[in-house]
Amino acid sequence: MTFLHLFIVNKSGGLIHHRPLSKHAPHIGTNDWLRIGSTFHSLHAIAAEASPVKSKHKNDGIEFIEAEGLILCCFQTRTGIKFVITAEPGTRNLQKVLREIYVSYADCTLKDPFYELEMPIRCELFTQAVDDIMRQYG
Amino acid sequence: MSKSANIAAAGHALWANTPKVNTELFALTYGSLITEILRDYDQDISEVNVQLERIGHSIGVRCVDELLAKSEVNGINIPMCRDLRETAEVIAKIGFRMFLGVNCDVGKLTDKSFSLYLSENPLNIFVELPSMSEDEGGSGPDWNQLKYSNIYCGVIRGALEQVNLKVECSFVRDVLRGDEVNEIRVNVKEVLAEGAGEDYHEE
Repeated sequence: MTFLHLFIVNKSGGLIHHRPLSKHAPHIGTNDWLRIGSTFHSLHAIAAEASPVKSKHKNDGIEFIEAEGLILCCFQTRTGIKFVITAEPGTRNLQKVLREIYVSYADCTLKDPFYELEMPIRCELFTQAVDDIMRQYG
Repeated sequence: MSKSANIAAAGHALWANTPKVNTELFALTYGSLITEILRDYDQDISEVNVQLERIGHSIGVRCVDELLAKSEVNGINIPMCRDLRETAEVIAKIGFRMFLGVNCDVGKLTDKSFSLYLSENPLNIFVELPSMSEDEGGSGPDWNQLKYSNIYCGVIRGALEQVNLKVECSFVRDVLRGDEVNEIRVNVKEVLAEGAGEDYHEE
């Protein structure tokens, strides 16, 4: 049961990071990625509005999508960034992995003095940190 | 009062897990930063204060994610703040404790502002502001105007901006100027709407 892809969407809906998490992950082109990122951002916002029950949580939206071929888990931070991970059905620890990736984001990306907020992430340390998390949970 | 006990315990737990650096190194590095800025801006004290706040802002926007991320993985649940008092408590008990290891208290709470009291400040442990000498008269810089730890104001402003609270922060009392305690006054200007909210609301 493996993880497939990770993508990170910023506050305004732009895709700031995407990567495959294992060899099984199907290849997705850059344009498709950008489309996936902005589509997910819009669906997340609409889901919060379309919900029949108004949640007290300000960060309401899509948390989990379960399909026949994949499961998708989304974690929206209180600062508006969405960490989304896809995996084969039956994979566990998705929420934990997302929280650990959030910590790596705070430790590697945010502390990089050359990283501008809301911009695409190009940090070697972050990539390595995610690789380590995958080695631990994958 | 168990909730505030939980928040204080959370702060202590996070501080225990944070990597530490030598306090003296921290204080001296900050001191040399201040001297550099003073040199860059020709001892224009008000400009230096503005720059310190700006530096603090860049730090603050990043600190808030670290606080939220680390508390999640350490099993500490910081619930969504229902009122300003809870926000102030989180900043004082968890934020200041986790990043600096210092005790910070909240006071003078109204529905749009609060004060933070810092009894110990690791940045100014070796600092003394120069006094105005008589022969210089009015020509030297007015050191009393220097907000030495103004970086904290920027950090708080940046951090709250990331969670949609626009605030104004300033130092109202400073031990370097002779007061007994450091007091930072935080005023909430507005609560910003969520990013995607407006476009998707029902007509």
